[in-house]
Amino acid sequence: MEFTALLLAVTVVMLVAWRGPRKLALTLFAVVLIASVATYLHHATDTLKLSF
Amino acid sequence: MTRTLAITLNALSLYAVALVLAAAFAAQLLLHELPCPLCLLQRLQFTVLAIGPILNIRWGPRPSHYALSLLAAVTGAAFSTRQILLHIMPGDAGYGSALLGYHYYSWALIGFAAAIVLLAAILLFDRQFERDETAQQVAPGAFATTAVWLVIGLTALNVVSTLLECGFGACAENPVFYELLKHGA
Repeated sequence: MEFTALLLAVTVVMLVAWRGPRKLALTLFAVVLIASVATYLHHATDTLKLSF
Repeated sequence: MTRTLAITLNALSLYAVALVLAAAFAAQLLLHELPCPLCLLQRLQFTVLAIGPILNIRWGPRPSHYALSLLAAVTGAAFSTRQILLHIMPGDAGYGSALLGYHYYSWALIGFAAAIVLLAAILLFDRQFERDETAQQVAPGAFATTAVWLVIGLTALNVVSTLLECGFGACAENPVFYELLKHGA
């Protein structure tokens, strides 16, 4: 679900970058980037099933 | 490098991102290989990479717009490196099929690294940032406008496919079917 939300957020940022105010696009970009890094860190702490 | 040439190059970069997203879709639909969570994150970073060029086409080239793309490329490279390291051990078959000998996450790292180098190269040309206050702002041409809508359309399609794949819960670590289509069958 979080990936669907992130991709939807990027679509919104793209539309704002194309049609909306520049400052809002930059702010939303920062929010999306932080959210994607947070999602990565959340998954990076999963237990790894190593083969050795 | 003039502003016009810089905008054309930005439009070309959007077509390159569209090609990557289309190739990922081709693997997903033709080979029935569903993207894992880390794969989805890398796909996401390719879409985030496109925001800088869209801003450049709309508002004119600015160093800050290139900086956004650099941040997206660096985080994307980190995500793909993580997945490469997960499969680095000898004997590990890797995730998904290989294309020309490399798995998709290896190609993703190559793509993000290439983006970093190309962004650094285009930042070397200062003339694109010179602003002629007397000149009227010219609307982007059909080539650039098509590139923007192509990338936005492919990103929107990814929203739909990810919703079908993951449903309303957490995405499976190793997905083999579409969560929402399974419940609908």
